[in-house]
Amino acid sequence: MAAQKRPGSAGSGLKGFYWVLAAVALAGIAFLAYSLFRADRAATEPIELTNVEDARALLARAEGIKVGPDTAPARVVVFSDYQCPACGEFARQIGPWIQENFVDDGRAQVIFYDFPLGGTHIHSFLAARAARCAADQGRFWEYHDILFARVMEWSPSREAPLEQFVRYAGDLGLNRKAFEDCLESDRHADAVTANRMLGDQLGVNATPTVIVNGRRVYNPFDRDELRAAIVAEQPAGAEAAS
Amino acid sequence: MQGAAAADAAAPPRNRMAVALLALAGVFVSAYLVLYRVGVLGTLACGVSGGCETVQASKWALFLGVPVAVWGLLGYGALFLLAFAGVQPRFVASRRVAGALLALATGAFAFSIYLSALEAWVIHAWCRWCIASAVIATLLFLAALPEVRRLRRPG
Repeated sequence: MAAQKRPGSAGSGLKGFYWVLAAVALAGIAFLAYSLFRADRAATEPIELTNVEDARALLARAEGIKVGPDTAPARVVVFSDYQCPACGEFARQIGPWIQENFVDDGRAQVIFYDFPLGGTHIHSFLAARAARCAADQGRFWEYHDILFARVMEWSPSREAPLEQFVRYAGDLGLNRKAFEDCLESDRHADAVTANRMLGDQLGVNATPTVIVNGRRVYNPFDRDELRAAIVAEQPAGAEAAS
Repeated sequence: MQGAAAADAAAPPRNRMAVALLALAGVFVSAYLVLYRVGVLGTLACGVSGGCETVQASKWALFLGVPVAVWGLLGYGALFLLAFAGVQPRFVASRRVAGALLALATGAFAFSIYLSALEAWVIHAWCRWCIASAVIATLLFLAALPEVRRLRRPG
């Protein structure tokens, strides 16, 4: 009797085994499919934009990141690329100087625009999107600073540095899940594309490019030239006081 | 008694089931790394520790000119097929299957020790997926050990 039962139990043993095998196979296939899908979602380059023939529409879509009051007489527009070393220098040296000397006292407003150069700067578009994902959580400038500070860490990556960008968000105490969802989508790809198109329309051909009330500052690292450009925009009384 | 022994020999060995399941998991881990290697995955899900891209970009990510992940895929694939065949009644008593399983599992284990040593002392970076593969290879080796008994059994 016992000998007769054994083949049956062997068969049912195999049946259970096949079920477990099928479950592992399904889980594995689902994981690979999800990974492929996830990789496809993160927008890493400019997208097709419609309804931006009008410069005003383009400006609205670009959503420059502002710091300082809208009433400031001088509008300092900065076009920047996160993989450009000079932009990093500008962010470290000149940005804080403008902030302290002209933004804090209401004489200037800085408007930051992305100008992802592309070419060898293959991750600057994604970096610009990442900074805007941080802006969604109110931490644009901290993220902007961390991108420049750690550029040597993420810039050489052969693949899109999603992992590093999410880690930086965690380091800043952002909601990682929300940040990751934003980064691994095409969110802000339209704004960053509009930024680039706006720069092209304005004749930006290098980064950083600084424009004060429509006038280009030829050497953005020259503090005297910058000061002169900003001061020239102040009302007569204020100019005398400065 | 003889009938019972024959039936026992035909019963699917649980250790081979374990080998098949582990090897299948290994197939997916290596397939994931192969997909990354060929560039269809944007990035590796690597967690906060990082290190995956450092390891994958190092020169040790190739073995005999072929990406380590491809070796893994081939090795785990072969182990899966062998173990799957090994649980079928007609191959349960096969010493060839037992020998091949033991040899492959030992090879996989030794290779993963070599790779882990590289990560620890040469590359100085740990990749979560490589660790997962090393754990799988270790468990595979342990699960394949009962094959020694089958090899010794007069066949």
